[in-house]
Amino acid sequence: MDTTPWDPEGAAALLDAEGQLTGGATLGGVDAKGYYKQLVAARSLDLRLSRAGVPMWASAAGEEAPLVATARIAQAEEWIYSGGRDAALAMVRGMPLPELVARVFGREGREPPGRASSPARRIAPATEALAMHLAVGAGHAHGERLAGTGRATFVMCGEGSSTTAPFAEVLALAASCDLPLVMVVRSQLWPNGAPAEAGVLGDSVADRARACGLWARRVDGADPIAVHNTIASAAERARLGRGTGLVDVVVTSLAHDPPAHRDPVERLRRFLDGRGEWSTTFQDVVEADVRARLDQAFSQLEDSA
Amino acid sequence: MSDSSLRDRLAAVVADLMRADARRVLLGEDVADGGMLGLSRAVMKDAGLRARVCPTPLTPTVLAAHAAGLAAAGHHPVVVLPGVEALLEGLAGLREAANWSWRTGGEVPVPLCLLAPCGSGLGRGGMASEAMASMLTLVPGLTVLCAGRAEEAGAWVRAAVEHAANAGPTVLLLPRRLLLGASPRAPSEDLGRPPTAAHRVREGDALTVFAWGEALPVALAAVDLAGVEAAVVDVGCLAPLDHLRLEDEARATGRLVIVHPGPGPGGVAAELAARFADAAILHLDAPVVRVGGAEPPLSPSHEAAATPRVERVAEAITRIARY
Repeated sequence: MDTTPWDPEGAAALLDAEGQLTGGATLGGVDAKGYYKQLVAARSLDLRLSRAGVPMWASAAGEEAPLVATARIAQAEEWIYSGGRDAALAMVRGMPLPELVARVFGREGREPPGRASSPARRIAPATEALAMHLAVGAGHAHGERLAGTGRATFVMCGEGSSTTAPFAEVLALAASCDLPLVMVVRSQLWPNGAPAEAGVLGDSVADRARACGLWARRVDGADPIAVHNTIASAAERARLGRGTGLVDVVVTSLAHDPPAHRDPVERLRRFLDGRGEWSTTFQDVVEADVRARLDQAFSQLEDSA
Repeated sequence: MSDSSLRDRLAAVVADLMRADARRVLLGEDVADGGMLGLSRAVMKDAGLRARVCPTPLTPTVLAAHAAGLAAAGHHPVVVLPGVEALLEGLAGLREAANWSWRTGGEVPVPLCLLAPCGSGLGRGGMASEAMASMLTLVPGLTVLCAGRAEEAGAWVRAAVEHAANAGPTVLLLPRRLLLGASPRAPSEDLGRPPTAAHRVREGDALTVFAWGEALPVALAAVDLAGVEAAVVDVGCLAPLDHLRLEDEARATGRLVIVHPGPGPGGVAAELAARFADAAILHLDAPVVRVGGAEPPLSPSHEAAATPRVERVAEAITRIARY
C-alpha cells in the first residue's frame, strides 16, 4: 500500500492498514479481544467526558493504544506516572467509574479537573509543573532499583514535553543511573505541519533518546498490537535490570479527522473481523456495557452535586 | 587540619545517620567523591554504605522531584546540594516534592531532607549574597531550618533528617561561614529541642535580638560590643515560624532588633516585624529594627557584605536600647 502523509515514517507496525498481521508477525500472547474491549471502553469514556464539559479537557481519542497497553502491562505493584489525557489508565486499572468521573470533574482528590490518579491503584498524581512528573517517576524507578524489587516504573508524556528541561534531565538520570524506567511518549502525527508547541525538532523523540544511550523504539500508535508488544518489551528489559526503555508512539488524534485506518480501535476491529472474532452484535454488547456504566457514574455525579 | 574541620564532623554525622536507618539514601552531585564540601566523605569510607550513595548528573531542575520519587518508593533521601542556589533552578520540582504527600491524600509520605550550604564564604558573590532562604519559606509544605552556631551544626543535621522522616520535605541551610570553620571543641550531639522551636541562646532583659544562620554569631558579638544586657534568640526554623514562642520573646522586652543575612526588603525579617507589630504592638517600647546585608547583586570581592557587620548591628542595638 502506498504511504500517505497519514502514515508515520520509521514507526514499526505489526498490523497493516487492513488489520492483517504482516511479515510473519505474531500476536505475542496478547488477548486481542479483551484488549479491544478496553480500547472501545476507553474511546467511549473519552467521548462522554469530551461532551460533559470538563474544564480544560483535551480529548485522547485516537491515543488509546499506549494508555490501555501501559495499564495492561504495568503489574499491580508497578506505578504509572502519566501526564494528562489519561482517564483510560484508571479505568483499565479498575477504578470504579463513579470515582473516576468524580475525580475527572475535580470533586474527589486534590488534582486539577481532568485527572484520575489513585495511589491505591498505583497511578500517581499529576504535577503542576510541566513534565515534572517524569522526574518523580524516574526517582521512583531509582527507588525500585535500590530496593532490588525487580519492578519497572512507567512514565508517560506527549512529545511536546520532550523540549522541557525535566525531560532532558530525566534522560540523563535514566542513562547514568540505569533506571528501570519505561518512558511512553505519545508523538502526534501532523500531516499538515506541526505547531511550535509540538516539540517536533526534525527528528523523532526515539532518535533523541537513542542518542543519549537509551534503548528506544518508535512504533505506530494506530497499531495496538505493535504498541502493546513494544511497551511490554521495554517493561521486561526494565524488570530484568537492563535499564530504561523509551517507546515513542506515533498517535493520530481523531480531532484531525484522519482516514479510518489511523484509528487504533478500527485497526484492531479489522484484525478481529479478519479472524471471525468480531460481529455487530459483539460491538453492540461491548458499547452497551460501558454506556450503562457511564450512565450510572454520571447519574451519581449529578446526585452528589 | 582536616581532622578538626566542621565539615569532617558533619560528614561523620551523615555517616552515622546512614548507618542508623537502611532506608536512607544519599543523593547529589559528586557524592561518590565526598561531595563538594566533603559531607559524604565518611559515608564513602564505609563499604557497607556505598550502595546507598547515588551520584547524579547535573540535574538541578528535577533533583528534588527525583528525590520525592525515591521517597515514594519507600526510601528516605538525603540530598547534598552544592548550595541553596541550586534550589532556585529546582524550585518547581521542590514545590512538587513539598506538595506530593498532600497531593496523594497523605498516602505517600515524603521523608526528604536537603542539606544546602548557603551564604557567603567561598568568594563567589552573586546568588550567595541573596535571600534564597526567604524564597524557600514561600513553598507550601516545606520546613526550612537554618543552623546558626558551629557547636550545633552536627545536631542540626541529625535533627533535620529526623524531622523530615516525620514532617516531610525539609531543607537545612548550612552557612558556608560555619562550614569553612573549625569544628568546635564541645559539639552538641543533640539539639535538645524540636528543630522547629525558636531558642534563646543568650539571656538579657534590656532588649531582644532575633537572628539566624551566619547572622547569629554576628548578633552575639554585637551584643557583647554594645555592652547591653540583651536576650538573643536563634529563630532556627524559618518555615513554619515558631510564632507563639517568638511573640512571647518579643513581649518580654518590648525592644526588638532582627539581624539576618541577605538583603532587607521582603523575606523572613519583614514577616517577623509584621507579626510583632500585629501580635505584640502594645508591648513594644521602640520601633522594630531590621539589620541585614548589603543590597545584591554583590561582586565576589564584596560578598562578605551579604552578612551585616558586627559594628552596624551593635549601633542598632545601642540605639534601640536607649530609645
